[in-house]
Amino acid sequence: MSSPKKNEKQTVIQDVLEKPSSRRSFLKGASIAMAAGSAALATGCMATGDTTTSEEMKLRWQEYFKKHYRLMTAEEKKETVKRLERLAKIQNDLDVQIGTDPPIENVLYGYAFNISRCEGFMECVAACVKENNLDRKTNTQYIRIFEMEPGKLDPSTGDGQFYHKVPVENKFYMGVQCFHCENAPCIKACPTKATWREPDGIVVVDYNWCIGCRYCQAACPYFGRRFNWSQGEVPKEELTTKQHYLGNRRRPKGKMEKCTFCIQRTRKGRLPACVEACPTGSRVFGNLLDPESEIRFVLEHKKVFRMKENIGTEPKFWYFID
Amino acid sequence: MKKQIIPFAIPGLSLLLMLLLTSFALANEKSFLDTIKKTVKPFDARSVKKVRPVTRKTVLALEEYRGGSFRVLARKQEIKRYKCSNCHGEKPVLVKQGFELTHGNVIINHGRAGNELSCIDCHSEDDRDFLEDKKGRKIDFDHSYKLCGQCHFRQKRDWLGGAHGKRVSNWAGERVIYNCASCHNPHSPRFSKRFPATYSVPLN
Ligand code: SF4
Ligand code: SF4
Repeated sequence: MSSPKKNEKQTVIQDVLEKPSSRRSFLKGASIAMAAGSAALATGCMATGDTTTSEEMKLRWQEYFKKHYRLMTAEEKKETVKRLERLAKIQNDLDVQIGTDPPIENVLYGYAFNISRCEGFMECVAACVKENNLDRKTNTQYIRIFEMEPGKLDPSTGDGQFYHKVPVENKFYMGVQCFHCENAPCIKACPTKATWREPDGIVVVDYNWCIGCRYCQAACPYFGRRFNWSQGEVPKEELTTKQHYLGNRRRPKGKMEKCTFCIQRTRKGRLPACVEACPTGSRVFGNLLDPESEIRFVLEHKKVFRMKENIGTEPKFWYFID
Repeated sequence: MKKQIIPFAIPGLSLLLMLLLTSFALANEKSFLDTIKKTVKPFDARSVKKVRPVTRKTVLALEEYRGGSFRVLARKQEIKRYKCSNCHGEKPVLVKQGFELTHGNVIINHGRAGNELSCIDCHSEDDRDFLEDKKGRKIDFDHSYKLCGQCHFRQKRDWLGGAHGKRVSNWAGERVIYNCASCHNPHSPRFSKRFPATYSVPLN
């Protein structure tokens, strides 16, 4: 890069930065600076590589200043999705489709887990990692399976790190993941309203509004939340390209993530990946507002209980016994 | 100074007030479970448009689910040597075909130890293309749940309702569920021991 050109850029930036201005005129000025081809301006907010194109810079700039998902109009949702898809193409040469499917009316999702049938095969964990594009470098997992002694029902008394042939005689297995509490402590703890409960009961995170303070993780009594210590890494051939804005799309470093009942699948009528993968049929998923659904059958006909029911979080995740 | 102390001077009363208030609040606060219990109108699961069609072959079940009819995964086309009558007929069998035709690969581990089931406990003796229940009724392989259910009746009740077995790929749309033999090997129905598909890492 020749130095006169660099100087010219710097004066544009300085102009923008030093002029006393409101946020609005600042943004306006900044976009002029962008138009001038300045990549340097943004280095304060975003890391840039040498290969960054001006299109990418522009998109990232617009992404940086977008609204909270719940405040976006349908048009704005469409635009951000388009930007994210384009960025995936520019940055990693990936063709992803990011959906913004809204909740289905008269649907409230519920989940039940059969503790007398789970055999600890952990197919669910593997399927979840794959479906939700979880970071392979730090080995993020949303689901945990605990090997439990008979008579105990608190997972913290079980072994969450087993690796031997399963099932083991006289042990049982208990899966734990985000329970999508109706009365969720994680939502109350969040200072930025980056996490909330959707009308269909799914507790989601707006990755762009999360500031990574991890209050929610501290507030969750159920091992429900995971923190992104680094930008997630997923082998290209294993990437799930059908994504949802609030689900398995790329999560930035330093943000919170969690199980979303596979929002990208369930809002299209499909089962969560863990349910589909379970070889023993221990996992039951469905619409709590449908009296004919499987989940309602379980609630009505089986011995069910929820974890730490006394603390009033009202999880939408039940354990049952055959 | 004195004024501020007053509420604490009568702890009995304030405690009573607190209790009353909280119990009032609790009585007022409805759990979402009440709402769920009150919804009695079935949800039309077929109205969810985008469900992925089940591409595997299915058949209409011969029994009713709570919401009416449903489908199960077909079984027959997955049985390698079906139709059985291709061999189990009048044709003579050569000695060199013996191993294959006597099903030497089938290991029966079904039924209480020492009292394992034999072939004709489930398979029809006269018409090998069918299963047969204890009352002598012929049962199509696609509807094996009719046979399994005569002993495993509790499992069958749960399977019909949805607490045992599961749906194939969609929670919405038409109800399509796994057949007994889609998951269990009928000759050895227990899942065998194996290593887990992955391992857990410490939480961050
Ligand atoms: S389980 Fe934890 S993360 Fe999930 S909704 Fe409840 S409090 Fe939040
Ligand atoms: S880590 Fe993110 S989602 Fe969690 S409380 Fe902080 S801002 Fe909210």
